[in-house]
Amino acid sequence: MKKYAERNRALLHFIVLPTILLTVGLLGGLRVDAQTRQFVFLAPPLVTLVLAILLGSLFVRARAIDLNRWFTIEQPTLTNLSHLLTLVAFFFASAQAFNSVLPESGLLHWMFSFFFIWTLWTNQFSAFDTRRLLKSLIVLFGTAFVLKHLLVSGLSAPEGGWIRKLASTLLQGIAIDVPAFAPVTGYVSFFALVLYVLGLLLMAPVPLRLGASAVNKLAVREDALAESLDQST
Amino acid sequence: MQRKMIQITGMVWTLVYASIIVWIYATEPRSFKEVATNSQVAAGIYEINQERLNNGLALFRRDQFRAARDEWAGADPAQRDPRTQFYIAYACYREGWGRVYDDDALFKQGLEAVNRAINLAPNGTLIVDDPDLQMHTAAELKTELEQGTETSWKDLNPLKLFRKRK
Repeated sequence: MKKYAERNRALLHFIVLPTILLTVGLLGGLRVDAQTRQFVFLAPPLVTLVLAILLGSLFVRARAIDLNRWFTIEQPTLTNLSHLLTLVAFFFASAQAFNSVLPESGLLHWMFSFFFIWTLWTNQFSAFDTRRLLKSLIVLFGTAFVLKHLLVSGLSAPEGGWIRKLASTLLQGIAIDVPAFAPVTGYVSFFALVLYVLGLLLMAPVPLRLGASAVNKLAVREDALAESLDQST
Repeated sequence: MQRKMIQITGMVWTLVYASIIVWIYATEPRSFKEVATNSQVAAGIYEINQERLNNGLALFRRDQFRAARDEWAGADPAQRDPRTQFYIAYACYREGWGRVYDDDALFKQGLEAVNRAINLAPNGTLIVDDPDLQMHTAAELKTELEQGTETSWKDLNPLKLFRKRK
């Protein structure tokens, strides 16, 4: 039984988690053109890389990723390399998750970017633990998703609707340059964000140690918990 | 041992999957069909549709250039065959050629196709032995298309009316 549990944990950590994160990387930049129904792949803009760095820093500060345990001289090089790959995948998944909820161009792109930077920057100086950070990120991405794919996409809907009428009344003279994408883009983005949140939930602050005994693993977790408690107090 | 195997498999899989994603973003396929075509090109098993190429040739010889181009575009969706690209350029030239003036848009389209043909040809030299054509090399065709898009005093020469389409 224990053997199966260890094997499943290894599968989850070394195969499932990177796959989920890379799938977010693939889907985050995918759009479907409203007219031609063709795929449009948008590479992450520079601002999303900055946002991904800020988010990564937030994870380290909140001890959601304990870098000292992810990379240590006491574990095999292969394990360190594997962890490096997972963290690189996490970085690009974060960049693409932002890419997925940012308007593609125009004034709204910069407004959304500004609010993301503002939120992540102010969070750097707040006391966070892993659970609160995850909750906060789910709310952040959820709000951005609703704003972009329900409200902003309503502005470019060909049939118009009350959102378009309201916006054109409120924002007279301000050009909102939002490219039109097919509704399926919203579904792709939703799926990417769900996968991203799942990936975040699967990412352990202290990674799995191959060959470590159960007692050692418990000790490591206890250490991490004690450190996070110290930080919060 | 088994856990180490999982770790190695995970690393290899991560690298392969990441490469596939980078490749998709680099090639920007517009549909699942293009993904399949690009995969064939990358794997080196891409082949043009010979039947559609021949259909296009038959249409070309009947002066139905637009239909011929459509057939050739279907025969070589990845635009990887120099001969097909040469024929597409030739069809643009013949359709766009005019005794008084040439169709700039078609000539530009032809120029793009002939440039693709030259880039794909080994050593950049492409010779097509087709007795129905008067220009057999991509270089000749390119020169003709370039001259057609350029504006010069020669355009006002009345003798231009007596020139012949190649």
